Amino acid sequence: MNKLYFILSLLVLTTVPKQVLAHGANIEYRETSAINIQAKYDDGTPMANAQVVIYAPSDRTTPWLKGTTDQSGNFTFVPDTNAENIGNWDVKVRQSGHGDITSIPVSKEAENAAITQLSSDGSDYTSAQKAVMAAAGVWGFIGTALFFSRSKSSKLD
Amino acid sequence: MNKVRIITYGIILGSVILSGFSRSEKQTIAATEEGTLTLVANGEDFVRQGFVSKDGWRIDFDRLYVNFSAATAYSTESSFEPQKGDTKESIEYQHRIEFFDGATTADLAAGEANAEPIVVAQADVPTGFYNALTWKISTAEGDSPIAGNTIALLGQATKDGQTINFDLGFNQPAEYICGEFVGESRQGIVTADTSGQVEATFHFDHIFGDADTPPEDALNQDALGFQPLAELASNGTLQLDDAELASQLSEQEYQQLTEAVSGLGHVGEGHCIVSTAE
Repeated sequence: MNKLYFILSLLVLTTVPKQVLAHGANIEYRETSAINIQAKYDDGTPMANAQVVIYAPSDRTTPWLKGTTDQSGNFTFVPDTNAENIGNWDVKVRQSGHGDITSIPVSKEAENAAITQLSSDGSDYTSAQKAVMAAAGVWGFIGTALFFSRSKSSKLD
Repeated sequence: MNKVRIITYGIILGSVILSGFSRSEKQTIAATEEGTLTLVANGEDFVRQGFVSKDGWRIDFDRLYVNFSAATAYSTESSFEPQKGDTKESIEYQHRIEFFDGATTADLAAGEANAEPIVVAQADVPTGFYNALTWKISTAEGDSPIAGNTIALLGQATKDGQTINFDLGFNQPAEYICGEFVGESRQGIVTADTSGQVEATFHFDHIFGDADTPPEDALNQDALGFQPLAELASNGTLQLDDAELASQLSEQEYQQLTEAVSGLGHVGEGHCIVSTAE
């Protein structure tokens, strides 16, 4: 019992309480793969404060993000890299009756996504695999036929 | 003998059933959903509501004819960007839709001031995202109201109490190679439930300039304006075809006009590559 009190006391003494300050500021961060675009007119002038609309591959109709370029025509966003959003991200920039759209390929996990897609429509079977499957199917019917034939013969016996 | 017959029946039955599965699978793959894709032509509010040119002429259109041919929409996986080097030959499309054979003339000034863009053609198409459009402006023939011309502008120009009735014909064939429509909403998406639209947009402020745009803007710097044309009018009438414009305007003015006319075609706010070779 004394040993238990000793261990509990030790835990209480060694635990450092988290400080909470009334007007503290806090910055957290995480590393991501961001995409930076720069929009310019044909003569090289930056498209400052231009409207930016971003469409994710999973929904090419509804904007995924809207924003505005800075004074230098820059805009940065972090694409969602879920499997459904692997592919071309379309970025539209407009200002004063001028605009452009470009596609930015986001390829992380693209290979896995492609394999999944191919598997879903069954088109990744080779001709040899299809032949084996067909043969197995035919043999199944023959075996079934033989089974019923045999039981019929034994009944007659 | 009985066993041989049973085995034979088994093989035949199995083959029939398996081939049936195979056929139904192919039919499923071939059956693609369809929707409607509409090609519209839009002269924007400049044409429907009129505007004031860079040199102060109020311009209103009665009719504005454009003779279309070879209008084709494409659905591509990645955006088609002719201004970054993509060419018509390099389009890797999933679907390619030719809207009509031959040519058709559309009046961009038809309807009221708030009318919708003019429907040029419609087609039943496989569902998809049609994000590239090419079309030609070709010389009209036969029964077209602008036979011998590619584009014709008919209307009135007014300034300081003076009115000029104009009837201008241009014969400058060109092909426009464009990517996706750029505007407030996204266009060209066809589903089984919703029809899609692709738009050939014409910016007529490129010819006359726009009083609402600063004079130093490239639009007004490049535009001819209406004053050089007004000076060719007689008794309040200006009726000239392309050859007459070429001979009566100065070389520089006609060059400016030619470049403005060839630069009319857009997809919304998106620019196109223009090929003037027939």
